[in-house]
Amino acid sequence: MFDFFIHVASIACLYGVLALSLNLQAGFTGLVNFGLIALFGCGTYGAALASGMGWHPLAGLPAGLAMAALLALFYARLGRKLSSDYWGIATLSIAEILRISITNEQALTGGAQGISGLPLLFADLKPYDGVPRLALYALVLVLAWFICQRIVKSAFGLAMKLMREEPQLARSLGYDLDAIRRTVMLISGAIAAFAGFLYAHYLTFVGPDQLMSPETFLIWSMVIIGGIGNNWGVVAGAIVMQFAMAYVPFVKDALDLPTDFVAAARLVIVGGGLLAFLLWRPKGLFPEKVGGSRGR
Amino acid sequence: MPDRDRGGHFYSGLQHRPIAGCTTPSLSHNAGSSAAASAGIAQTEKSMFQFLFDVLIRSVDLALIAVALSAVYSLIKFPNVALVQYAVVGAFVAMSLHAAGLPLLVAGFASALFVGLLAVVFNILIFERLLKSDSAIALIGSLALSMILSAVFLLAYGPTAYRFKLQVSPAMRILGARITDHQVTTLVLTTVALGLFALILFRTSLGREMRATATNGVLAAATGIDTRRVTNIVVFLSGMLAALGGITLAMRGSVSIDLGTNMMLPVFAAAILGGLGNALGAVVGAIVIAAAETVITNTNIGPFIGEDFYFLPASYAPVASFAILVVFLLFRPRGLFTSEVNRV
Repeated sequence: MFDFFIHVASIACLYGVLALSLNLQAGFTGLVNFGLIALFGCGTYGAALASGMGWHPLAGLPAGLAMAALLALFYARLGRKLSSDYWGIATLSIAEILRISITNEQALTGGAQGISGLPLLFADLKPYDGVPRLALYALVLVLAWFICQRIVKSAFGLAMKLMREEPQLARSLGYDLDAIRRTVMLISGAIAAFAGFLYAHYLTFVGPDQLMSPETFLIWSMVIIGGIGNNWGVVAGAIVMQFAMAYVPFVKDALDLPTDFVAAARLVIVGGGLLAFLLWRPKGLFPEKVGGSRGR
Repeated sequence: MPDRDRGGHFYSGLQHRPIAGCTTPSLSHNAGSSAAASAGIAQTEKSMFQFLFDVLIRSVDLALIAVALSAVYSLIKFPNVALVQYAVVGAFVAMSLHAAGLPLLVAGFASALFVGLLAVVFNILIFERLLKSDSAIALIGSLALSMILSAVFLLAYGPTAYRFKLQVSPAMRILGARITDHQVTTLVLTTVALGLFALILFRTSLGREMRATATNGVLAAATGIDTRRVTNIVVFLSGMLAALGGITLAMRGSVSIDLGTNMMLPVFAAAILGGLGNALGAVVGAIVIAAAETVITNTNIGPFIGEDFYFLPASYAPVASFAILVVFLLFRPRGLFTSEVNRV
């Protein structure tokens, strides 16, 4: 039971990093990205590439970051002409194209079976490897939070928020919206890919099933429920959602429900959570602080 | 399973084709005789008409839901993802009514009415409120609603695929193409439904009010049109069209809980290609998407990569539609035709 708790907490930390990445895009810049999971996938497949080529495991990180940067730039380029909901559909399509291509290009990516046998982080510390891993993930989460917080509080962060609220006004004041979008996508893409890299070396397996679009919507629910535009909030949302999802099977066992209940309950938690918060508490558990004592 | 070929599981149906295409030429290759070669040519001619018919049937699959999506978009300016799930609701309800002993037409019509009402209820309860903040928020809300609906399907019907209990008659052969009764029925049903919708839109005063509201809602309201009522009527009609789309899909194949998710991006691609908000443009969009999907899996790209015969795996079929969608959003975001909607 303790091991399971450590496992869920580790995954929750990585999802927290992803939620921070999405919050930077959707929460502060107003970029409705439905293809976030593909940026995460760049990180996982970067790690898989290093493993497949026999490189040092760390070489997978720059590979993943490079792929994520390319994809982020493409997303940003698409966003030049499109309003937010169209951009969301476009990013969703690209993420699906990538997932289908990965599934079919057997030689390159291992196809639907994926690539397994990646080195596990801290494997030599067994059986006490779970706790140091969790500590590392928590550290990464804190670091990502710190970076996001610094960005949001900087002058650039103000430009991001202005772009979200009043794009026309931002443009009239001389802000280059395309440049802001590019920078935000590059930073948040790198954060998401880093989470993917760690995730790959935790599960020791990389496959296209990890890149299904419902994963993106799960991260969205974390952001909306936690509080869009609040870095504390989305991390809290990630932890709440991850634990809620992880303990559904126990409820099923306790109440002796059919197996389909697990999948259905997870769909209801994500979809219902999203809808309920959008309708009744659109600012989430921890609303964004506007203004504040320090003027930012 | 003749009627399954072009059914709900479109992509599984496609898998047979590349294999058939592969064997015929390899036969002629082995024999090397002119007789075998001419048989090969006859085969390609046959598959030409079959190809056109495949495209037609696939575009019918997409057209009803795409038109519904486009029509709703023209009034409430956000793409409602949940429409593809309404189609699945329609199929399941019609199937249950049919199993309970109602004739198919009655069951289908009752189901379409039910889904239309359901769409209006969801619109009033959820989307009217979400749209007050932002169209992107409404889009996320419709995604969330789709997830809840698929959870309901999962609990009520489980993950298995369902089919209508219909008599299966052997496929007719017309100009070498295999055509089943159910395919003809769907074709007729879809044409009639789209024709009626076009009549309402262009020949009635209600249609005029719809178009006025779509073009300029404020102005329409100022001239005394009850825009909220008009919107809800269009939502009702779109629910009916989507349900009909789901029923026709289920008639030729099966319906399972992931039908909606699989249809989502192709339907979006068709609607955006036709220009969201331009309801009948979506029909043309559906034909283009269907053609692209059929071409990409039926074309021998062997010569380009230095092999005699190479067909892309059937699972690449959706990639065609998504890629067209992305290219259009990049270069011509308003679609093939100009529409009354000027926001992209």
